[in-house]
Amino acid sequence: MSVICGILRESFGDYLADRLPAPQRRILREHLTACDGCRAAAAGKDASLVFARPFAEDASPDETAAILASVRTGVSHIETERRLAGAGPGRRRAAVAAAAAAVALLALTVAGGSARREPVAALPVALEATPLLESAGVEPAALPAEAAAASSNATVYDLNPGAGRDEPRVVWIVDRGLDI
Amino acid sequence: MELVYSERLERQNVGELPDRDLAIRARGGDMLCFETLVSRKTPPVVSLARRILGNTEDARDVAQMVFLRVWKEIHRYDERYSLNTWLYRIATNLAIDFLRSARSRERAHGATLHLVREREEATAGGATRTAEDRELARLFETVSDKLSEKQKAAFVLREMEDCETKDIAEILGCGESTVRNHLFNARRILRKEIARLYPEFLIGRTLA
Repeated sequence: MSVICGILRESFGDYLADRLPAPQRRILREHLTACDGCRAAAAGKDASLVFARPFAEDASPDETAAILASVRTGVSHIETERRLAGAGPGRRRAAVAAAAAAVALLALTVAGGSARREPVAALPVALEATPLLESAGVEPAALPAEAAAASSNATVYDLNPGAGRDEPRVVWIVDRGLDI
Repeated sequence: MELVYSERLERQNVGELPDRDLAIRARGGDMLCFETLVSRKTPPVVSLARRILGNTEDARDVAQMVFLRVWKEIHRYDERYSLNTWLYRIATNLAIDFLRSARSRERAHGATLHLVREREEATAGGATRTAEDRELARLFETVSDKLSEKQKAAFVLREMEDCETKDIAEILGCGESTVRNHLFNARRILRKEIARLYPEFLIGRTLA
């Protein structure tokens, strides 16, 4: 037993009572890892001291890489959810407005109201009151079945523009603001 | 020719940043810094979780949850405080939650899980842990079964992670005197369990 062993063995009590300053505590723990005699003496003093030593860390580079890959996937999922939920109020309002516009169209046409008697080309005019459709940012003419309105965020397609007055009107709303 | 951008060089530079700077940049949305932080902190987080939970598979799951929680909560990170304490707090709380649900599962499944774990542990983490570490980890897993979750977490943080009492208090969300109490009781239970299950340690047996 060396002099240092003797000094350190006297500090077991302080270690257990949480009275040892951090640097001395680390010296003792390092020493217990290296010195069989002191380790045995420590276990004899208090069996829980067998755990008083620095431990190697567990994750290998491969495990770390696997965890990182899973975390990346998780973060990507979180960010998608945030975009859907958060960018949110505006886009949600747009989506709700588009849905409301569709319902309005259906209601007008199924009921055979005067708006349905207007030519299809007049629809954007009829929908101008909806904030969603205030600006025309898309070119609806490029698509064959569409006849309705467009905005920078959403386009409303009329799938049966030539429908008779008693037929239901079917519309398809594409909201480009929704990032799914 | 001037090198405008090299991802490898960028990663190398970022890898040299201290934890605090990485966390600040990650808070600003820098994914590369966040990933560097994840790579750097995975080994200690897995180690801590493994010691509290007693098996590697669950520890890996908890580590993933920890880093996802960190990403979600990174805007709350305050650089005036230690990143490790904040990270350990998240890891300890998630591990304790996991341990509670695992204990209830284990009560339902009986001793079978324990045998499966022992087999898993015999093959897991072999590359980085010494035989002595593995033996101590198995010993701790056996004798710590009677500790409460908080006692176990306090003991692991103190004895295996060498955390300061004030840091443990912050991690566990309690006072320093409570931490000392947890440690005192944990040692008492461990002494008793070691004496009951492994009496050879009391007569000064040293590990191989």
